[in-house]
Amino acid sequence: MLLRYVIGRLLVGVTQLLVLTIAVFFLIRLLPADPVSRFVGLNSSDEAYAQAERNLGLDRPIGTQLAHYLGLAPDEGSGLLQGDLGTSWVTGSPVVSEIGQTLPLTLELITLSFLFAFLIAVPVGMLAALRPGGKADKAVFVYSLFAGSQPEFWWGILFVYVFFFVLGVAPPPLGILSPLTTAPPATTGFILVDSLIAGNVSAFFEALHHFMLPVGTLVFILSGPIVKMVRQNMVRALQSDFVLYARCAGLPRRVIAFYALRAAMAPAMTLIGILYGFMLGGAVLVESVFALGGIGQYAIRSILAFDYPAIQGVVLVITAISLLIYLLLDIAHAFIDPRVAY
Amino acid sequence: MADVSEIQAGATQKRRTDWLFVVGVSIVSLVVVLAAIGPAISPYDPTVSTPTVSMPPPPLAQWPSLFWGVLTGSVEQTPHWFGTDSSGFDIFSRVISAPRIDLTIALAANGLSLLLGVFLGLIAGYFRNIGTEVMMRTSDVLQSFPVFISAMILVALAGRSTTNIVIALALLYTPIYVRLTRSEVLSQKTRGYVEAARALGNSELIIALRHVLPNSMAPALIQSSVTIGFAILLTAGLSFVGAGVRPPTPEWGLMISTGATQIVLGEWWPSLFPGIAISATVFGFAVLGNALERRYAG
Amino acid sequence: MLVKAGTAKEARVEGRSPVIEARNLAVRYVTATGVVTPVRDLTLTVHEREVVGLVGDAGSGKSTAALALMGVVRPPGQIASGSVMFGGRDLLGLDEDALRAIRGNEIGIIVQNPRSSLNPMLRIGRQIANVYGAHNQATSREGWDKAVDMLRMVGINDPERRVGAYAHELSGGMAQRALIAMALSSSPRLLIADEPTSGLDVTIQAQFLDEMWQTVQATGSAILLISQDLGVIANYCDRVVVLHDGAIVEDRPVGEFFADPQHPYSRSILALQKAASEADAVAKRSDGEREKLIEIRDLAKNFPIRGSKKVVQAVENLSMTIGRGETVGLVGESGSGKTTVGRCLLRLEEPTAGQIEYGGTDISAIARSGMKRFRSKLQIVFQDPYDSLNPRWSVGQVLREPLNLHTSLSTAEKTARIGELLELVGLSPDIVSAKPRDLGASTLQRVNIARAIATDPEFIVLDEPTSVLAPAAIDGLVTLLRALQAELGLSYLFISHDLTTVKYLCDRVAVMYLGQVVETGTVDQVFNAPLHPYSRSLLDSHLFPDPTDRRVDRPDREQLEGEIPSPVDLPKGCYLAGRCPHALERCRAEPQMLHDMGDQRTARCWRVAEGDLEEAGR
Repeated sequence: MLLRYVIGRLLVGVTQLLVLTIAVFFLIRLLPADPVSRFVGLNSSDEAYAQAERNLGLDRPIGTQLAHYLGLAPDEGSGLLQGDLGTSWVTGSPVVSEIGQTLPLTLELITLSFLFAFLIAVPVGMLAALRPGGKADKAVFVYSLFAGSQPEFWWGILFVYVFFFVLGVAPPPLGILSPLTTAPPATTGFILVDSLIAGNVSAFFEALHHFMLPVGTLVFILSGPIVKMVRQNMVRALQSDFVLYARCAGLPRRVIAFYALRAAMAPAMTLIGILYGFMLGGAVLVESVFALGGIGQYAIRSILAFDYPAIQGVVLVITAISLLIYLLLDIAHAFIDPRVAY
Repeated sequence: MADVSEIQAGATQKRRTDWLFVVGVSIVSLVVVLAAIGPAISPYDPTVSTPTVSMPPPPLAQWPSLFWGVLTGSVEQTPHWFGTDSSGFDIFSRVISAPRIDLTIALAANGLSLLLGVFLGLIAGYFRNIGTEVMMRTSDVLQSFPVFISAMILVALAGRSTTNIVIALALLYTPIYVRLTRSEVLSQKTRGYVEAARALGNSELIIALRHVLPNSMAPALIQSSVTIGFAILLTAGLSFVGAGVRPPTPEWGLMISTGATQIVLGEWWPSLFPGIAISATVFGFAVLGNALERRYAG
Repeated sequence: MLVKAGTAKEARVEGRSPVIEARNLAVRYVTATGVVTPVRDLTLTVHEREVVGLVGDAGSGKSTAALALMGVVRPPGQIASGSVMFGGRDLLGLDEDALRAIRGNEIGIIVQNPRSSLNPMLRIGRQIANVYGAHNQATSREGWDKAVDMLRMVGINDPERRVGAYAHELSGGMAQRALIAMALSSSPRLLIADEPTSGLDVTIQAQFLDEMWQTVQATGSAILLISQDLGVIANYCDRVVVLHDGAIVEDRPVGEFFADPQHPYSRSILALQKAASEADAVAKRSDGEREKLIEIRDLAKNFPIRGSKKVVQAVENLSMTIGRGETVGLVGESGSGKTTVGRCLLRLEEPTAGQIEYGGTDISAIARSGMKRFRSKLQIVFQDPYDSLNPRWSVGQVLREPLNLHTSLSTAEKTARIGELLELVGLSPDIVSAKPRDLGASTLQRVNIARAIATDPEFIVLDEPTSVLAPAAIDGLVTLLRALQAELGLSYLFISHDLTTVKYLCDRVAVMYLGQVVETGTVDQVFNAPLHPYSRSLLDSHLFPDPTDRRVDRPDREQLEGEIPSPVDLPKGCYLAGRCPHALERCRAEPQMLHDMGDQRTARCWRVAEGDLEEAGR
């Protein structure tokens, strides 16, 4: 049952990704951007232009380009089907490896942020739910509305000013490790994990220190919607008929609390998935403020440079991860709530 | 039992939103007014730099006397209330001129996607056939795009103009409205009043337009307020990473971006003021959206 | 034994000692906008071996009172004053722990909404075990076994399997039983049952109430039965307590209450019952030579099931005529297809087969666009008055719509006509600018009727028009329907499961079961001497609000067994065979035909046709 559901979802996801890849492929070629002149300069000779166009492969019919990209023309080299996302036009290195270098940082950033956002938001939301309409509830409500509607990049800058410039407790916003520190060998790509594997405790703490402000910024932004959701679900659970009936049946307090908590957390799964997916693309701004070098910054660089293979790769990978997270959380949801059928 | 708890819930919520609502409406009204007259009343041309570079704002304590001076004409040159940035632009003038760009983009993008989304949602929900199924699948694919990155791609590759930003945002927001409206239409069309309209001899088109549509628009309209806020954030974000409007257009995100490089040097003012403007504006729309939601969805 | 017996000592005191005594109980909610007091002054006593009925309108505070009796109030309400004596102690003076030991243990409660009162995320067995374990020394395993026993006791088939089900996998009736199992798991001395049978079909309702009543008689326990249904009250209660606007306004033995209600509110809710019992005296126009208005021949309607080749057979080969000025009742339990018939008549649903002839035209065969000219003559009133009015339109706009569609009146004439229509249905013309949300259910239902008669129709389908109304409002609406019929010469198809109303309003009646008509005849014939076993059981299960002929006093009851089969996989022979006490081998093998029984009666049962089953005279 579960297996069938997962396979079904994966099939739908893969189809969706394929459609999306093709859509992005055509979209970026339809838009009136001219990557060729970006690479050879506006004043280049026609000959140089044609040469560059050939080099980028843009002189071929668009159908051939697509077939090549998807890997349907094996004699022309590998493509998507072979797990090859092409070569970056800017750096000349494979897009797969470039994404492999940038993605782990973004995942670390977001995961840490979610972890802390939850640790803070869940108790706060529950506190507010205990007395709906009370003072604490009102304050929490205004906070959640405010935090959920803020420009995170601005808050990042503000935090840099306060914690780096004024207080001096945070490192400058210049990456995840100071330029003087030697990075631990990349085993998993996740800096926190790698530094521990290498036994490099100082690098580990340095990375944590550098994560402090960006994570803090995201926690602030994320806590808004999470607090709001936890509060809403908890209020609904506490006012539900089955909690009332549990009281009528004389159940002990802890059993009732367990009933309510479980009911409140189940629907949260969906929102976490959506937020996580949103953050994968939305962490761009915070990464950029702190110059962290994640996939978001890689996306900015590629887009501004009209680096088509890199753009396609980024969109594909981010969407794929989002879909995977949705699937995992849907499965988790189904485990908590039997009403969710596979 | 249920009725009492509803009365209770309604009562507390009503009172809670009261003062908040006033704050929200005030902010939004101010931004709307600035969008209309901001550029006209700004003391300096927001797109022309002045010779004074990176000048901090006058200390707050001096503001009253400076203000009095401006009114009486004893101060010759209007002070740079919010200071100037590293290129010598007057920050105050740019902050109050920016709503014309930011709000116009947000309103236009939201208006376009709302119109298109509600219309398509009505069709997809009311008349279910192969065509509308295809439409929903397309909408699914559109919705699975990472929003910010897609917006960057669209704007950067199509050309960094206001129009292109509007079109890109409208394209990304339309599926949300299609979904919201469609699901509301699906629930409304099984309601008794629709059956009654049919029993009276109305044609399906008339029922869809006169009965179902007006009753299915609430979720989309409530969402509007939220979408406008997010569109402002997105526009600013695009400028911030260099994929939005071009300098020296007075735009909040662009201003924050200009100030960002100076912040590690302790120049807080070029980023602070436009940031407060965005922060307050989006919060205002969020409050408004929340109030609408309580009134119409609750 | 579902309920534990009162101790012998108590029983000796007066023959009947009180189990619970509430004095001047009040519950209030303090909100930002003011104080709401749903229960102002509740004083009542329930003795052992007694069933006390608590009646009152929706919103009269019944449910709040039920909870308050065990010291529970929905947050943020509080008990403002009063006392509740139970077992020699004032419950309201006890602390939470002491109260918890009583709730679910000595006082059990069944609430109105069983599905939402069960935890959606736990198996019902675990929930019952949790409740049992909270009051008894039991391991988790013992609790689970107890749950199986309790489910078996409340009549759930295959309890070993069902104990592992989740709430959403149970039907409404089964969820209700699971809740009862939970309430009774610790054998309480008092059972508070708040609308325990709302949402159950009549045959199952009767089955369940019978069991509950017998339990009380067999043990020394007591029941407080809260219901809006006067039929339930009259048939099962010993005493009636009336709650109106949060206070007790009447408290009397059941016989006296029905015979001679004192309080004006009590009188208003009993009005229809009075009218219905007098209806026998009103001359029914039972002449057979009525002019034929509508003739339905072999109407059938199937609904395909998504992703399957199977169909739901909602209506099967239904034939029926409706005469001019006649009211035909269509009765049956939920899922019998009666609503689908009404919808097919107006082409709101496309019939799968069959003809519907109106004024010489087969309106089931004409194009949808051609239906428009018949729309002014054939109308419908739906069950839910709120749902069937466009919430954004004012009453005036609602009534103007049919005039715009079907008349060429001027604007001023339409306005005049709207006023006239409102007066016809007994409403003040002042409400033209009111929106539906400002009006009550019975007013809205009158607006619906006004809309239906706006274009001078000849025929109206009334699809359960009274089912969401309070008892007092039902009487007014039914009176209105009769008056309109007399004035405008209307014909009605009255679809209802409420036999009391049908008896009062209809000339002829057709009984449906699983999409088939099983019996037709005049109201007198069918109600006084039903032929088909299903009609007999339906009528026997129906609780007429008449304490002089109580179901519990009747020795031989016609009782069906089990549950209604799924309309997807229907039995080969008689659809009732699986539940019928008279079923023979031939019943299961042969599809049943509708036999003409003479005297304009028909019945779908070969044993009735051959005279095998004696008439069940009541």
